[in-house]
Amino acid sequence: MTQKFPTVGRRSFLAGLAASTALPLIAMPGKLWAQEPRAGGTLRTPAWPAPSVLNSAISTAGPETFLGPKMFDGLLAYDFGMVAKPQLATDWQMSDDGLRITFNLREGVTWHDGEPFTAHDVAFTFMEVLKVHHGRGRTTFGDLLAVETPDDLTAIFVLETPNPAMMRALDSRESPILPAHIYEGTDILDNPANTAPIGTGPFKLAEYEIGSYVVLVKNPDYWEEGYPLLDRMVIQYVPDSATRAAMLESGQADAVFLNMIPAQDIVRLDEQPDFTMDTRGFEGMPSAQQMDFNLDNPILANVMVRHAIAHAIDPEWITQNVWYGLGTAGKTPLHVDQVEYYTTEGVPEYPYDLDRANELLDEAGYPRGDNGTRFELMLDPSPWGTESITASAYVREQLRQVGIDVTVRTQDFGVFVTTVWTDRAHDLVLYTVNLGVDPTIGTQRFYWSESYRPGSAFTNGAHYMNPEVDALLEAAQVETDPQARRDQYAEFQRIVMRDLPVMPITNIHGANIASTRVHDHTVDALGVLGGFTRLWIEE
Amino acid sequence: MSTSGHSVFRRLLRHPSGLVGLLIIALVVLMSASAGFIFPEGPWVLGGRPRTWPGVDPAFPLGTDALGRDMVAALFYGARVSLAVGAAAALVSLVIGTLVGAIAGYYGGWLDDVLMRLTDAMQTIPSFLAAIAIVGVVGASLSTIIIAIAVVSWPMIARLVRADFLRLRTYDFVQSCKIIGMSDLRIIFGQILPNCLAPIIVSSSVLVATAIITEASLAFLGLGDPNVMSWGTILSTGRPELRSGWYMTAFPAVALVLTVLALNLIGDALNDVLNPRLKERKS
Repeated sequence: MTQKFPTVGRRSFLAGLAASTALPLIAMPGKLWAQEPRAGGTLRTPAWPAPSVLNSAISTAGPETFLGPKMFDGLLAYDFGMVAKPQLATDWQMSDDGLRITFNLREGVTWHDGEPFTAHDVAFTFMEVLKVHHGRGRTTFGDLLAVETPDDLTAIFVLETPNPAMMRALDSRESPILPAHIYEGTDILDNPANTAPIGTGPFKLAEYEIGSYVVLVKNPDYWEEGYPLLDRMVIQYVPDSATRAAMLESGQADAVFLNMIPAQDIVRLDEQPDFTMDTRGFEGMPSAQQMDFNLDNPILANVMVRHAIAHAIDPEWITQNVWYGLGTAGKTPLHVDQVEYYTTEGVPEYPYDLDRANELLDEAGYPRGDNGTRFELMLDPSPWGTESITASAYVREQLRQVGIDVTVRTQDFGVFVTTVWTDRAHDLVLYTVNLGVDPTIGTQRFYWSESYRPGSAFTNGAHYMNPEVDALLEAAQVETDPQARRDQYAEFQRIVMRDLPVMPITNIHGANIASTRVHDHTVDALGVLGGFTRLWIEE
Repeated sequence: MSTSGHSVFRRLLRHPSGLVGLLIIALVVLMSASAGFIFPEGPWVLGGRPRTWPGVDPAFPLGTDALGRDMVAALFYGARVSLAVGAAAALVSLVIGTLVGAIAGYYGGWLDDVLMRLTDAMQTIPSFLAAIAIVGVVGASLSTIIIAIAVVSWPMIARLVRADFLRLRTYDFVQSCKIIGMSDLRIIFGQILPNCLAPIIVSSSVLVATAIITEASLAFLGLGDPNVMSWGTILSTGRPELRSGWYMTAFPAVALVLTVLALNLIGDALNDVLNPRLKERKS
């Protein structure tokens, strides 16, 4: 078992080792006892919000992306580090110019209704569904001209320009393959199969009570011999996070995934012997907290002011105290989980130093006034979750120490988005965001001059315009040579951290907390957003 | 009713619950007045280790909150904001309520109808929900919160004042004022209003208490002004820590309970002191 553990706590690391049968049994506390996987059993997990459909091809919302991969498969799956591995495609080749990708498909796969799975399903899904109806698919597969199907087990993607980011978006969560025989010729968004899914995945839908619960049962005809191990999965929709925590604590639930209980409860439960936290498997959705400077503000347009503010704020402090240590202090525009491209080599740093901040502000031409204040700024924290609002209290106090009078403005989510990205009435904005499985998908939008689009939320809100950065981003978009692409993103990180239009605060680590009886919910990069084929429960 | 302010105060001190209430409020006022001297750096300094329990670090006798701010400093500054919000909101709703009630009660007729239907309409809206809606839409700032509280609490005063005005306007002294040609304005504010001050004063102490609670509840729900340290702000930063650090919510909660209790005690005592019938019974 050669797994990468990019962000594991000590205990889950040991638990992972213990679970691997490669290690001899050694005396360890009960929590870490190694056991053989067991088939059978039911997994009970509370979640919120409830899904609107049960199909992650037409909805990118959280509940759907959790449920979809249990019932549907993708062409590929990804090991830790986003290394592609086979799922419905057994192998694949890219042409030298990067414009044709041939997927050889798995033989003998059937849909839940018994129909055979063929290349036609793949072509239909990408061309008619993902390209048209998927929130991110419109961009990700924008260059996909056609999917050719020379025979039933071969699908050839024909691209207009090389698209390396697409190769990271072919999993069951992002691009589930739908049955053409059910969807073809129907109104896809209105198809009854959206709430009664027919997939090729490891589980089948057994019961669905809208807004209340979903019951999935094992697909006995799953193509992977001997899997899934679980018999049943019950997902109950519980709106109150304190109740979800209590359900786990009292044994009414076996696991709570995807940070569905507050960080401080996750940390508290992890300290108890009966529960284990796992922060792996969030590479498909690396989230980060960051703070944009509105460069249209003449004070913030001065790069020395931005550097001074960066020196006055300690991202490590926010990571430890606002995120309860479930994160890494931000050092570059990328997320540490974007393993392939993340680098701090040669990237400017702004260590916490109030004296340096004061010096820079003096040099920048903003001396302290009579009341000790240099200038005033408005800070808009995102009301999504509580962390940005909590962190804004820290930012406000730190900036007061260097003579910047910050007013925090808390608003309803809709008003917040309009204030910042439509009216552009902000100076500083502190928010959390998904940086994307590939920098092209989630990160580029904050730095690319063409994504300065007032009216469109979570775009280039800083109004950052740097032709050098634009050139790098556009080159990396179509670069098929992995090393060249890494170099482009390394250079991008260095320039952006020098110009600092956005201050990275925290690379958030998602966390799952489960009873120690639950094993192997996270076995690859997709974590709990995968199919749960390996998950097993002790008796 | 010719009780002078001075003697009311003395009789309030002799009243057991009045005395207790006044003592507590005096303490709270003292806290808010001395906050600036004892903690010149303000309540926001991130001076300690976050989540230090009370009694662990002598520098922070009541511990620190989730961000490492001194709980004592927060409570002292919070007293200032909570009292100010309570008083300001009560004052605004007193002014609106008295004006509406006085005009409706004195003039009667269609004016009365219009104003009272408006009051009824306001009273049918659950006041806390209305406050949430106002703050949610306009945005959380101290002045919005004060106005939101005032807007939902004036109808009570208006009804009270109107009832007294309806009664008093038929009295002979009012009729004689009219006959000697006194202006309506002078009759309302110079003659009738002083005679119905007692119930207004009594209910205003309750009004302050309600306003303090409403502000704290709004802050608890995350609708407080993040730029001022009120007891509600402490509550809302302590709320996520309820399981791991209950003291962060317990201290501001105790402060709130005591202050509101004190205001209610004063209200009760004032009711006894200002009510002429009760006075006769006692003597």
